[in-house]
Amino acid sequence: MRPGPLFALPVAVFLAVGFAMPILIVAWYSLMAPRTFDLTTVFTLANYRAAFTEGYGQPFFWSLGLAALTTLTCLLIAWPTAKVLHAHAGRVATIATALVALPIFVSESVRLFGLSLFLMPGGGIFAGSMRALFGVSIGTILNTKFAVYLGMVYIHLPFMLFPVLLGVALIPPDRVEAARDLGAGRWQVLREIELPLALPGLVIGSLLTFVLCIGANAEAAILGGRAITVVTTAIEQRFNYAQDWPMGAALTMLMIAVTAAVVFPALARVDLNRLIRR
Amino acid sequence: MTPTDRLRQMAARNPLRNGPQSVNRRAVLGGMAAGAAAATLPMGAARAQQEGIALLTWDAYADPRLLDMWRQETGVPVRYEIHISDPTSVNRLRAGETDVWDFVNLNNPWARNVLYPEGLITALPRDRFEPLYAQMFEKFAMPYHWALSQDESDLLGVVQRFETFDFVINSDVIDPATAKDEGWDLFNNPDFADRYGILAYEDWNVMDICMGAGIHPYKDKTEEDFAKFEETARRWINNAKMITTDFVQLNLAILNGEIDLYFTGGTYTASSARAEGATNIYAITPNSGPADGKGGINWIELNSAVASPKPRDATFDFLEWITTPDAAEIVARGNGNLQPVSQMAQDEVLSRFSAEELDAIQWDEFDERIANAVEFDIVPQYDRLYDIYSAAVRDRG
Repeated sequence: MRPGPLFALPVAVFLAVGFAMPILIVAWYSLMAPRTFDLTTVFTLANYRAAFTEGYGQPFFWSLGLAALTTLTCLLIAWPTAKVLHAHAGRVATIATALVALPIFVSESVRLFGLSLFLMPGGGIFAGSMRALFGVSIGTILNTKFAVYLGMVYIHLPFMLFPVLLGVALIPPDRVEAARDLGAGRWQVLREIELPLALPGLVIGSLLTFVLCIGANAEAAILGGRAITVVTTAIEQRFNYAQDWPMGAALTMLMIAVTAAVVFPALARVDLNRLIRR
Repeated sequence: MTPTDRLRQMAARNPLRNGPQSVNRRAVLGGMAAGAAAATLPMGAARAQQEGIALLTWDAYADPRLLDMWRQETGVPVRYEIHISDPTSVNRLRAGETDVWDFVNLNNPWARNVLYPEGLITALPRDRFEPLYAQMFEKFAMPYHWALSQDESDLLGVVQRFETFDFVINSDVIDPATAKDEGWDLFNNPDFADRYGILAYEDWNVMDICMGAGIHPYKDKTEEDFAKFEETARRWINNAKMITTDFVQLNLAILNGEIDLYFTGGTYTASSARAEGATNIYAITPNSGPADGKGGINWIELNSAVASPKPRDATFDFLEWITTPDAAEIVARGNGNLQPVSQMAQDEVLSRFSAEELDAIQWDEFDERIANAVEFDIVPQYDRLYDIYSAAVRDRG
């Protein structure tokens, strides 16, 4: 036996047991009768039918829509930030990068509760300061859809910034200079030189952010006051209070399918080897 | 310190946010002591001692002071997991976790109606545990319905924490006497649309919406009842300012003037804020309602021994030990949420609580609350009601 497959065996076993098997069990459960805990009843598509007929469209819409909007926003913020950080590499850029990276080490819930205290009306940090310093009474965006969006951008920006930074580093400065020498305008340089060269970083950052956002529910729970129900909350409700594992499993499988439908075509466009070699 | 600061402090010690306990030095020493003691015991008992006991429980029994005291006094290790909801834990035991847990702490109806008939808990020796009931309030005098098997021959557990759980108001905005008279209709009043929150303890929300719709939550529902439930559920959910699983957020929202009231709530959610001085956060049990004339819901936790294949000596010891005054006091203060315990019928236990603490649990109104509440029970047709409720939450946005 060649050594390659042999060395791959432990990882393959790990992935089969830790990754493929749970998905298989969830897939199996999704085909069982609603509200059963038994894995041996007859197969049925009732849960999938219910997913399309019992108002789960809205949670899917919010999860996918917010994920797309957050990804786009993070991309728009991360690109100029990455360009500046790359152009001014040195002490200040390192400090700025560390400031963006450090919050990742703090639990997401803690950061969101912090933001919630900041945004609270009355005794909240922002509203209280405005009143104390300027005598201005302001309301709050807490418990609104906008607060959910803000929280998602706040939490996920670092996951976009670092791959984009890597992408920006892939752009050889001489190519940009050559393009300019040949008369390319700013917009042309961005569109025809920089974006195509940085594409692997942009795609990976976008995928990472999008996938994390689809699974996010703390923002809607802590900042949004459940102004919306995201699909992961709907799944959690089926598994917990409803004790309807098959329905929860069917929603989970649909989530996986939707995510795969977005991720695989995008991944096919990225030459990961090029990024790694760099 | 402002009430907001105090609430933040409380939020920081909210037990629901803490994970399972990590191993500390004391636990290690406790384990070593248990190991030494176990060397003198027969094989089965020795293994049980080494493994210790495992609690599937609501938060009070996960209080580190309680568990440390138990370890120090007995040398028996203990670990725990906090419930998500009663039915979730019942289903875990059904799924075979009777091998995993030794002690289960659930609300009153489950032991008698589900756990014992399905062989998931074991009967307690009556000669050892029945005398404990003599030290409790009159309400629990034997033969006490919820603690006994359906044929009344077996004792299924020991009662400890009990209280009502309905809604909470800002008493600076709403007069408590008016709130008690109005009861659940406060949430039907259009003046309070967008002025209340919902604590997403969702099985409780279902019962509260029944009350608001004029339906007895624990009796069979007609099609007309389901229609009334759906209309009320959608209106209440759409009119809510916020829905959260975190009652500290709701208490903060009251203090910040965002909301004037929230359901589901009671002294369980209000007492820690009240103990810190925010006494305008006020638990209400309605004077009347559709449940046999009552509008409140009275939960009673029953502590039982899981039908585990392991020896049960340590579990029985723990069940008895938690009723001793020192342990009962910690349970009543469980993780900072003051709650009444059945042992407060004894002066020795009651006298350990200061006037401020008793005010925090609105002790002067306790008998009135219990009298105005129907005892918690399993909700018939819960699945259909919950599906209506959760669809309404999804449609909210």
